[in-house]
Parts: sequence; structure tokens; C-alpha cells
Amino acid sequence: MRLRFPLRPALRRRLFDTAAAVLALGALCALGMLNSARAAEPAAPAHEVRDPHYGDTLFHFFQDHYFTSVTTLMNSQHFDRVAHHADEAEVLRGGMLLSYGLHREAGEIFAQLIDKGAVPPVRDRAWFYLAKIRYQRGYLDEAQDAIARIENHLPPELGEERALLQANILMARGDYAGAAGALAAVDGKTPGARYARYNLGIAWIKSGDAPRGAAVLDELGRAGAEDEEYRSLRDRANVALGFAALTENRPKDARAYLERVRLKSLHANKALLGFGWAAASLKEPQLALVPWLELAQRDVSDSAALEARIAVPYAYAELGAYGQSLGRYQDAIAAFEHENVSLDESIKAIRSGALVDALIERNPGDEMGWFWSIRDLPEMPHANHLSQVLAQHEFQEAFKNYRDLRFLAKNLDDWRDKLVVFQDMLDNRRKAYAERLPQVRRQRGEIDVDALRKRREAVAADVARGETEADGVAFADAKQTDLLRRLADVQATLKGNAADPELAPLRERARLAAGVLSWQLAQDFPARVWDAKKALVAIAAQIEQAQRLDAALAQAQRDEPARFERFAKRIAALAPLLDVMIPRVAALSKEQQDAVQDIAVAALTQQKERLAVYSTQARFAVAQLYDRATAGVAASASTASQEGEHAAKP
Amino acid sequence: MSFPLLLQCRLALIAAALLAAGALLPPQARAADAAAPSSAASAPMTAATLDGRIQDVKGDVIKLNRDLLVLEEELLFPANTQVALFVSMDVGKMFELDSVQIRLDDKMVSSYLYTPAEVAALHRGGVQRIYLGNLRTGEHELVAFFTGKGPHERDYKRGATVKFDKGSDPKYIELRIKDAMGKLQPEFDVKVWQ
Repeated sequence: MRLRFPLRPALRRRLFDTAAAVLALGALCALGMLNSARAAEPAAPAHEVRDPHYGDTLFHFFQDHYFTSVTTLMNSQHFDRVAHHADEAEVLRGGMLLSYGLHREAGEIFAQLIDKGAVPPVRDRAWFYLAKIRYQRGYLDEAQDAIARIENHLPPELGEERALLQANILMARGDYAGAAGALAAVDGKTPGARYARYNLGIAWIKSGDAPRGAAVLDELGRAGAEDEEYRSLRDRANVALGFAALTENRPKDARAYLERVRLKSLHANKALLGFGWAAASLKEPQLALVPWLELAQRDVSDSAALEARIAVPYAYAELGAYGQSLGRYQDAIAAFEHENVSLDESIKAIRSGALVDALIERNPGDEMGWFWSIRDLPEMPHANHLSQVLAQHEFQEAFKNYRDLRFLAKNLDDWRDKLVVFQDMLDNRRKAYAERLPQVRRQRGEIDVDALRKRREAVAADVARGETEADGVAFADAKQTDLLRRLADVQATLKGNAADPELAPLRERARLAAGVLSWQLAQDFPARVWDAKKALVAIAAQIEQAQRLDAALAQAQRDEPARFERFAKRIAALAPLLDVMIPRVAALSKEQQDAVQDIAVAALTQQKERLAVYSTQARFAVAQLYDRATAGVAASASTASQEGEHAAKP
Repeated sequence: MSFPLLLQCRLALIAAALLAAGALLPPQARAADAAAPSSAASAPMTAATLDGRIQDVKGDVIKLNRDLLVLEEELLFPANTQVALFVSMDVGKMFELDSVQIRLDDKMVSSYLYTPAEVAALHRGGVQRIYLGNLRTGEHELVAFFTGKGPHERDYKRGATVKFDKGSDPKYIELRIKDAMGKLQPEFDVKVWQ
């Protein structure tokens, strides 16, 4: 007669509960990829940037630096520097705000684009993102309405995402068959499509068509996988199939599915547990021991490994090896107690803030964003507890928010420092302005632009007269003027001695010299007139520039103090906003840190509760084994006593 | 397997399916839905959730950053003296960009070493604003040196130069790296935006 263990159904129930949780987490991650909050990709071809500042926004965007990208874009929009990409820029901004979870702001942007009658490609993208926002907010009918309004102008890269969104909306509305139809249209080779196929299987099963769902999952579970992500998804599909088969009392099928799961997979522990249960269902406890013994050696922080610690003695008991069963139960109880103490230590470390601080220290980032992931685990007592905590989607999202708040706090601190610098700069400019103004005014007073203009006009009149009169002498250069003067002196002297015949040769030489000089002046006349006119034009331009500078200076003297005042007012207005925002962010950071720690502690507390339940059941099983042994001894003693009495009888 | 056990298994499957249904919501939706109103009446209460308040503060900080950036630019780089230099890359198969050095009026204003992520962003159509500064009105000269790997993995260094007039409006100058497919060589030119 076999001992019936009351813990068996309880074990199995937990087995399925944990499996359900794993499946749920798997689907969550899968859909997380499909519906990730990656911001709207710009639709315009990459190399048609018609505003360099829009290109600058893209430069940051393509590096996933969304905070820098969206703030510089808004700055450029303020200065109207992205006019050629106005609608695209709005789509981009809406997408980035959406990626930060700012649904209301993003929704307003997309709605405005539609209202203003944007071109069809922009309008389709706006409807697409509106559908996404509405779906995320839980407005399913409105989301369906928005997605139905999309025409045929979406860029190809959004085509798949649109189908996935459509499927998710339909699934959320309970239309699983419709969802399956939408997902069937997705190309099976892309990463998103792989997850879609997984979801398609789940959708079919949920719609009541388990065979079709199983067929899809089975196809996924058999497919070749070229990367770890895909292999992990394949393992998850096989685990799902295996547990579905177990629940339908098809242990042989379950074994076949679970055998496909890799031993070192993330899902291996669940598979090993299920594999053992399949053997147990086939009344082959010796076969169940193989996976369970392997699993029992693994880290007890995993719930499946924890459960294996009591599944193994259960199998021994089923085989009738009660001594080994008892020993294993006692080992399990000791291990559970040890693990319980370790969990307490981990909880204490988390409560002290060590986990969050160490995570931040080891995973620095330079931007606020949703696509950041924990890469490096901190050093903590019992680090094995962290892996299960960090793997939780809820923890990761909460931690990302905490990290974002720290980024914002640093950003605001930087701006506060900068504002102080701006104020100093403004004060220095005011001071420099006050010091230089008298000097500039004096210099300005020394230069009489009106007098210069009058002088230029006088010269221009002389040039005009000389030109009209063809007066070469008017354009003589300094040397020629000197020669003319000396010649005039000579001629005057000769004229005073007109009767002297000996001076006749000199008179002739003077006449010749005067002729040569007149000839030269006549020859140079056209070029000199040209040069003079050109110089007059240049002088006019310079005088005009001087007048402009003079006017600008006068304007600056009037405007600059007002400009300084405006800047001072803006700085004075922004500083209090920072002063309000900084403590607000700090308070939220503290709250969020507590929330992050609460999530981590809750996960470990749950593990402690599991431990308590398993411990109780193990102790109960030990008691049963002792009872059985006691009952066996009593029965043996009774039999022996009866035999003795019979022997004593005559 | 006994009947009660089978029933339990089925219940477990239903539980699994229900959990999976919950998981069908995207991650950010779960976070957002915590703050999202399921009806108008519940909006004020849900808006006060921690997650909702964090989203609000993110939005407020983004707007504040915009105002501060505008102030910074108007104060430090007023339009009448502002000059902005950009770097872009068209295709970029002929040239693997490592660094850019820029001299303005014979004065080094930027020496930039690129990360692979930045080069990838340029390849995808991003345009990097590499320098923002101030210049007086009048004629200026810009000289840029591009360093990297050219065809056949050879070290490659080329320059591009331009003389331009700075007026009273902001000046935007784009340094462009292009592929000259005919020559199978990279080309470097300068575009002065009007």
C-alpha cells in the first residue's frame, strides 16, 4: 500500500501557479517589445533634411537621446527654424513625449495635426499614434476608431506595428479570432513577428480554439532560432505547450514539449519541474526523479528549484524509499530555514537603500529614457536574490522612473548653476556697458559725420567742375602741382626780364616744359576723373556706414538698458520655477525609491511566504513518515505478540 | 490523475490564461494605466498616483528646459552675431569618419572625436550642430579638416574651406561629407544656408 501524500495536489497547484506567472511574465516581455514606447521614427527619407536644426534633432533622436532631442526641437520650433519640416517635427515631438508616457501632451499634438488637415502621410501617422495612446489609456473603442481611420500612407516600418497594435486592441476587446486574423498578416521573419506568433497561439487558445493555438505554438517551439532572444521565446512556447498538455492530462505530450527546452535556458527550471510531473502522472516516479534531482541542486531562490526540494522526497516516498524520503525532507527543511535567513538579510539590505544606490552606481546613463536596461548587477549579500527581483517588469519600470527622476534632478541642478552664471554675466555686461558708454559717446562726438559729408560734397562739386571744364590742372597730383608752381615762378621771372635777349633760350625751355606738363595733365585727365569719382563713391559709402553705426549706437543706447532689464526679468522668473521644481523632483525621487524598494521587498517576502508553506508541508510529510513508521512498528509488535500467544497456547 | 487534480490543473490553466491576458497590455501601458482614468469621474484620484505625478513632472521639466534653452541662446548667442556650424554625411560609404577639426578665422573652435553611435546617427540622416558661437559682421574664413578612413581602409584627411559674409542675421554653415561614386572617393564641401 502506498502512502498518500496530501501535499501532492498542493504541490501541483503551486507548480501551475508559478508556471502561470512565468508565462505571464513571458508574454509581458514579448508584448513589451512589440508595443515598446519607442518614439515615432521620422517618416522623411534620411537625407532630405531641409532645415539643419531639424537634422540636429534627428542626430540626437537616432542616438535615443530623446530628452536632448525633444528639448532642442522645441527650442528650434520657438525660433521657427524647422519650418520645412513643421508637421514631421510635430510627429517626432509627439512620439518622443509619448515615449516618456506624456499621453495627454502627445495626444493633443496628434489631434492638432489631424485637425489642421496635415498631408496624408502625416495624418496617418497621427491616427496611428492616437490609436496607440488611446489603447494604452484603455479607451479601446476610441483606439479602434483611430486605427480604422488610417489609410495607406503609413511608412512600411510602421506596417507591422500597426498590425500588432490592431491585434492588441482586438484582444483587449475580447475579439481573439479577429486578433488572430490581424496577427496572421504579420511577416513571420521579423523579431516583432516572432512574438506576434507567440501571442497568436495564446489568442487562439483563449478564443477556445486550443488545437489551432497549440499548432502555432508548436511551430514556434520547433523552429530554428538564430539568436538567444528567439531561442528563449522558443523555450517559452514549449514550456507553455508542456504545461497546457499537463493540464489536459496528456503527460506524454507534455514530456515531448518540455524535452525541447534547453537545460540552460531561462525557462529550464520550470521545464524540469513539469517534466518530472509528467513522469509522475505516468506513474513513473523513478523517471520523475531525474529532472527533479537536477533541479533540486539549483539555486533555491528560484521557485521551481524550491519546489523540487520537496518534490524529490515525494518521489522517493512514491517509490517506497521512505528512509531517503525522510532524509530529503529534513534536508529541505534545513535549506528552507537557511534561505529564510538569507532572504531576511537581503530585505534588510534593500531597505537600507543599498540595492538602489548600487544599481545606480553600476548602471550610469546620460539620458532619460525607457530603453535603458540594467546591465550590471550590484554586489549585495545573496546576489542570487537580485536576479529574480531585477527580472520583474514592475521593478524595472519603477527603477527606470527613479533613474529618470535622478536625471531630471541633475538637469535642474545644472540649470540652477547656469542661471547664476547668466545673472553674473548680465551684471558684468551692465557694468561694462556703463563704463564704456561715456568713452563711446566721446569718440562719437569727435567724429562729425555731417561735417565729413559736407566736405565730401564740396570735393564732389570740384570734381564735377573740373570734369565739365576739362581742367586737367584740377586733377594734378602733388608732383605736378609742384612743377606747375615752379613753372609759374620761372615764367614770372622771365616776364620781368622780357628785354634781355640772353634769356631767349630759357624762355623757349620754359615754354616747352609748360607744354609737356599740359600734355601730361591732358593725358591723365580721363583716368583721374574716373579715380576721383570712384573715390567719391567709396567715401559716400563709408559716410553712410558711419551714419548707420551712429544710428545703431544711438539705438543701442536707448535699447540696451531695456534689453538688460528684460533678461533680468526672465532670469528672475525662471529661477523660482527651478526652486519649486527641484524639491518637487527630490520628493518624488524619495517616494519612488521607496516604491522601488517596496517592490523588491515584496518579491522577496513572497519568496519567504512560499518557503513557509513548503516548510510546513515538509514538516507535515516528515510527521506522516514518522507516523507511518510508528504504525508499522506497532503493527509488527502486535503481530509478533499474537504469534507468541498462539505459540504459548497449547 | 484523480478527478479533483485534473480540475485543479484546469483552473490553473485558466489562471495562466488570465494572467497572460493581463500581460497583453504593453509595459508602458501598465505603468500609464495606473495613472490613466478608466472613466472621467476617477481622473482626479488616479492623477494623484505616484506614476502620474512623475509623468507630470517630466512634462513640466521638458517645458522648463525649452524656456531655459531659449533664454540661454538669446543671452549668449544673439541672432545678430550667431553662427552655427553643422556636420552631415550623405551615404558615407567612402569615408569612415573619426574626427573633425574646425578653424574659424585661423582660430580653432572645435575638435570633435566621433563615437560609433554618432557616426551611425549621421548615416541615418542626422545633422550634428558641432559649434555655436558669435561672429562680428563682415567677411570670415572657415577651414575644416576631416579625419578618418577612406577607400581601402586607408587613413584619410581632407580639408574644406569657405569664405563667407556675416550679416546681421544668424549664419548657418553645413559641412557636408558626400560620396563621389564616379571617382570612388569621398567629397567634402560646405553649404552656407541662407
